[in-house]
Parts: sequence; C-alpha cells; structure tokens
Amino acid sequence: MTIEAGMKAHAYPTKEFFVKMITRDLTLSDCILDLIDNSVDGAWKSAVGGPTELKQDDSLSKYLISISITPKGFIIEDNCGGMTLDDAVNYAFSFGKPEEYKRDPYSIGAYGIGMKRAIFKLGTNIRIHSTYLTSNGVRESFAVPINVNDWLSTNEPPWDFDIVTDVHLRENGVRIQIDALTPEADGLFGSEAFHQDLRRIIARDYSLYLERGLKISLNDSPITGLQIALRESAEFAPMRFAYKDRTDGNEVGVEIIGGMAALPPPPEATEPEDLAERSRGAELFGWYVVCNGRIVLAADRTVSTGWGTDDWPIWHPQYAGFIGVILFSARNAVALPLTTTKRSIDDSSEVFRRARPRMRELTRKWIDYTNLRKQALEDARQKEQQAHPVPIYSVSLRPSVQLPELIARDSEPVANVQYSVPLTRMRNLARKFGSANLPYREVGLRSFNYAYREKVGEE
Amino acid sequence: MPSFDAVNYSLRPSKSIQRQIVFEGVRILQDTMDLQRLAYIGMGSIWFTDFVMAHKILGVEDMVSIECNEIGFRRARFNSPFITVRVREGLSSAVLPTLYVDEFYANRPWMIWLDYDYELNESIKLDIRSVVENSPGNSIFLVTFDGKDSRYDEAPQRPQLLRSLLGSVVPDELSKEECEGEQMRETLANLVIQFMGSIAADMARPGGFVPAFRAIYQDGPPMVTVGGILPVRGDEESAKSTVGAANWPCRPPRPIKAPNLTIREAAVLQSQLPCPRKLSREDVQALGFDLEEEQIEAFQSYYRQYPAFAQIIA
Repeated sequence: MTIEAGMKAHAYPTKEFFVKMITRDLTLSDCILDLIDNSVDGAWKSAVGGPTELKQDDSLSKYLISISITPKGFIIEDNCGGMTLDDAVNYAFSFGKPEEYKRDPYSIGAYGIGMKRAIFKLGTNIRIHSTYLTSNGVRESFAVPINVNDWLSTNEPPWDFDIVTDVHLRENGVRIQIDALTPEADGLFGSEAFHQDLRRIIARDYSLYLERGLKISLNDSPITGLQIALRESAEFAPMRFAYKDRTDGNEVGVEIIGGMAALPPPPEATEPEDLAERSRGAELFGWYVVCNGRIVLAADRTVSTGWGTDDWPIWHPQYAGFIGVILFSARNAVALPLTTTKRSIDDSSEVFRRARPRMRELTRKWIDYTNLRKQALEDARQKEQQAHPVPIYSVSLRPSVQLPELIARDSEPVANVQYSVPLTRMRNLARKFGSANLPYREVGLRSFNYAYREKVGEE
Repeated sequence: MPSFDAVNYSLRPSKSIQRQIVFEGVRILQDTMDLQRLAYIGMGSIWFTDFVMAHKILGVEDMVSIECNEIGFRRARFNSPFITVRVREGLSSAVLPTLYVDEFYANRPWMIWLDYDYELNESIKLDIRSVVENSPGNSIFLVTFDGKDSRYDEAPQRPQLLRSLLGSVVPDELSKEECEGEQMRETLANLVIQFMGSIAADMARPGGFVPAFRAIYQDGPPMVTVGGILPVRGDEESAKSTVGAANWPCRPPRPIKAPNLTIREAAVLQSQLPCPRKLSREDVQALGFDLEEEQIEAFQSYYRQYPAFAQIIA
C-alpha cells in the first residue's frame, strides 16, 4: 500500500468492543452498583435534591430499590421516577453522552457508559422497562428488549435498540430484567458469599443515601447502611472543614472530616490485648472518598488516598483507629474525581490533588498521636474510653483535629549492637581505655561514645 | 547555641548583598504582580535586618517573625523594629499552620523567607512542602540553608541522603562528585528548586511554581538560598517573563563571596566604579592597598549592594 492524497486512518468502533472489552474493567458487583447508581440518580432527581450534603433526614424515604439475584436471573426495580421516552430515544442507550446532553445536577452518572456496560456484563437477554410521568402529567410506559447476540451480529450503522410499548409498572420507575446470564454471572450468582459481600458493599457505599431514607433490598431483605462515627470528648475532637474548589469552570464543594473512629460494639468475649481490640474495626479504618453522596473508595489504605506517597508513610497496623472522609459534591458529575468504574478515584484530578495535602495533614496528626500512644498506652486508653461516638453528619466544624497530649514515658527507642572482633584486638582496645580487664560491653560502649563524639559531636 | 549568640548578623557582607539582591527582585515583582497588602513572614532573630528591608524597600507593614528559642523570643519582642511586627514563639512547623488559617494573613500574598542556619533536613523539607502547599496565591517563597558538603554525611552516602530527603526529583545517576564542595551547593540549589516545583505540580496548585531565586553566598559556612513565586492562576506568564528578563537580579551566576573591607577601602574602591572594564590587582595597588583578584571581582559585581558598616560607640 502506498500513501495517497486524502488517505485516512479508520477509527470506527465495534459493538464487540463495548460488549466484550470494556466490560473487563469491572467486577459483577460493580455492574450491580452501576445499576443502583442509575436508580439513585432517579431518586435524587425526583426528590429535587441539591448538593449532596452530609446529613440525616428523610428526603429519600419514598424511594425503594429492590434487587433480586438468583442463578436464574437478575432483576433490579425501583420507584425512582422512571426514564422518559425522550431520554431512552436520545441518550440512555448511546455510548457516552453527547455535548448537548444536560446532566442531572449532582448525579453520580458522569460518562454515559455505566448501564450499558453493566447489562452486557450480566447477561444476553435483557429487558429495560420504564413507567414515567410525562410533562402533561400522563403515565406512560415502554420497554427496550435487547438480545445481545442478535445485536452483535452486525456492526453496520445505525446502532440502535427497538423500543416497544409495555404495561405500567406498579409505580413510576425502572425495572431491568436479565434472563440469560453470562457464564461469570451464572457462576457467582449462586454463591452465598457473593450475596453477603454484595450486601456489605451496598451497605457501605450507599450509606449516606441510606442515612437519608433511601431503601435498598437484596432478595427481599432490606439493607441497613454502615454507620460511620468518630469519637469526641474534651480531648478528642474530629476535624470538619469545608471549602469550594473549581475545575474546568465547574464548582466542586469539598468537605473533609476525620479523627478517631468509633469502634463497633465489643464482641461478647473480652479480648484483653490492645492490638486485638483495635483490630476489631480494622476493616473500617482508613480514608473514605465520597463523590456526590456515593462512597467510591472505602477504608482505603493504599497510594490512591496518599498512603506510601511522598512524606506520607505506608499504612501500618499502628495507625488503626483512624477514619477520614472526604466528600466531593458537584452539580456537574464530570468535575468529580471519579473513574468510570466508580470504585476508585482519578488521582490525576486537580480537585483531588489539591485536597490531598489537607488529607495528609490530618493523617499525619493521627500518626504522631499513635507514635506517642505507644509510649503512654494506659493514659491513651483511658482517654480514648472517655470519648463518645458521634455520627459523621453531627461532627462540628473545626479546622483541624484535636488529639490528647500524651506524656510519653522516658523510653527513647534503643538499638542493640552485637558483633564479633578478634580477642587480641578487643584487649588492646580495652587497655587503651584504661584496663585490659574491662568488660567487653564496656569497651563497646566506650568506643561507641568515642566515635560518636568524633563524628557527631557532643550533645 | 542559638545562631544569634554566635554570629553578629550585621557583619556579614555576602549575606547582606544577597538580601539586597532578593529585595531588589521583589521590588521589581511589585511592578508586575498584584502584591498589594503583601505580608512578610520570616525568622527575624533579634536583628530583624530582613524585616527592616521589607518595610523600607517594599513598604510591607504586617510582618511575622517566627522564633523557637524561649530567650530568643523575649529578645526578639524587645528588639522588634516596628509595631506591626508580630513575634510568634514556636517551631516553624507549628507556627506556619496557624498562619494558613489566620484570616488576617490567609487572604493576602506573602513574602516568606525561611532562613535557617543549618543544613537541609527532614524538618526543613516538611516546612518547604507545607509552604508550597498552603501559602496564599501570589506568595513569594525563599528558603536558606547551610550548603557545606560535610554537613551531609560522607560523600559516597550523599546521593542516597538527598534521595531519602527529596524523593523522586533526585536523579538515579546523581554522583558522589556532584555532592562535593561547590558542586554540592549547585546540586542542592537545583534539587530544592525542582522539589518546590514538583510539590506545586503534584497538588495541582493553581498557577504552579515559578523558580525565581537562586543564590549561593559565603561569609562563614557556604549558604544556599532558593525560592520562587507561587502565582495565582493567570499570573504565571507575567511572573515567568519578569524573572526570565535579563535584568532579573536574583540568580547570580557565581557564589557571592564578598571581601571584608574597611570603610576606607570600600569607599576608595567604590570611587573607581562603575567601570566598564574589569578592575585588576594592579589598579587596586595603584590606589594604595591590595586585594586578591577574586575579592576585587566580587566587589565590582556587588558594590551597589555592599554594606557600609561602622562601629557605633554607644
């Protein structure tokens, strides 16, 4: 082939890329969370929710998301207002969102890929059914049935899915039913461990919505949100600090809360060891990153939230007991430091990078406290027990964390030295120090002190 | 021993020249950047020389001096030159965070000069990080530290020591030779400037960091002063163009090693300047005294900033 004038390199997408490639970036749990996100966005829009503040109220108490997972199939159904026909025709089934698309304010969905990628990962026979209220106040319903194998049979444009009429759902909302599960989903959906883990993930990642009344059930069993609380007393006071940032013309609200975690209630059996006591809540400790109300990173102790980066040590069990929460809230979800999987953060995000020094400062103070704590354990435990748990939404504003000033026992860490030298040389040196019969230990100490004075100087 | 007990700060011509150069630079910046309500934050010791210059040359009124020594703190308060100087007692690592959240200082540009009399170490590094990350927009940041190579372990260990201090900015191939003698000062200056820039980049500081100050000077131990501007978004290009101009004085090409001259020697030499050609040893001998070529060159380069000291009999 030779280069000719006007020659172009083709850049056409294929359907297989969307069905089989980009679905590899997420787990089955992520897929289900992506579908829950769509329902939550619906609820938030129906409730005319503003910025996703941290508070406890009943603003979402009318909304229910029911998930059913069995080896035979998957159903998610909500009463969160439904998808309009216009949305279905023009946006919901496109891959990516066009420039003119008006995103719902303070939504979690940002990229226009979540729902499609999720359903393709879960199965091949899909029906998306919506009942909604038109602008004239009339209830309308439709369904989009998708047979993935048929759809994949040709790449020719136009790429579209049929829209058919359907009966009304009981309430305005969306129902997604997937019958022919993919082999991965088929295998895992029968696992009780998968169900339990999913329940825990939902309880944790949607806890701020659950706190505001949203109901989520898995296989008819309601899910209770994880309670994140910090301890407060005369000597312990969590930090709570908020500011506004901007990126690409979008305002982003940032709020940082953190301090000593309130551990879960003690188990029946008393565990005498301090470490054991502190490790009970180990899976809760670390940083939580929240984007428009959705927890995208939970109890993180990795480089994603800064641990092990410059001037920030890697996580160590000594730091147990720390919880930090950073909340980003933006009218335009594109401004959030979200990855497309919503299970991590885009650490190249300017908004996130600007927040990191404040996160490090808070973490640093906790680390310093735990360093002192080792040397004043009794005092520390006594003070910690006097502190009472406060839910994060009730924490008062305070620009920096307050931790007790512990008085360390006089026990500077020591290094023990052990080495072998020829006996004659040891005696020669001992003689120079005044007596050939000096204990070896004494010769060692004196020679160390001698070298220290020479090399380091007097203290 | 605190350095104010060891050194009479007013008798160090190289340091004095370096200060003059820095304040001349910031004076130029005042014409091109919005430095209204500039606050000066420094370590004034008991002499406050830089504070006096900040007030007289730049017109700065609100100033904070950080003093960690208990007696030094009392003496600093006693010697404070202006009513608008506030002396804060404590380590810089403890005092600085209080200034970041103090509304009186937080919403105005700073000229902050952390002038340490010891070698770059972990605590200085953390102060540098803290200032780059937290100081207000359009702040001007300088740091001075001891650049004597022997302060930094034995030569073969120095590249690793710098790596453990400054992290990724230190190249893998940094050699022992680059960490010896005068070359060590150059290495330290370059690396600390790069470190400041990378902190600003890592935290996506709006406006970033514009390197602007780089001076090595020697009265006693050789000292390194580096720094730059932390402009607000939109002012980066103007800051870059000011410090990139040929008349920008704050990057002297050679270490400043000013000779100790008597008032008479300085006055007689000065009377021959400015002079388009380099003065020689013969020229000085013809004036009736003698100096080394290096001393003559230093004086000719910096005679405008050379301090005029005189003993005052109280």
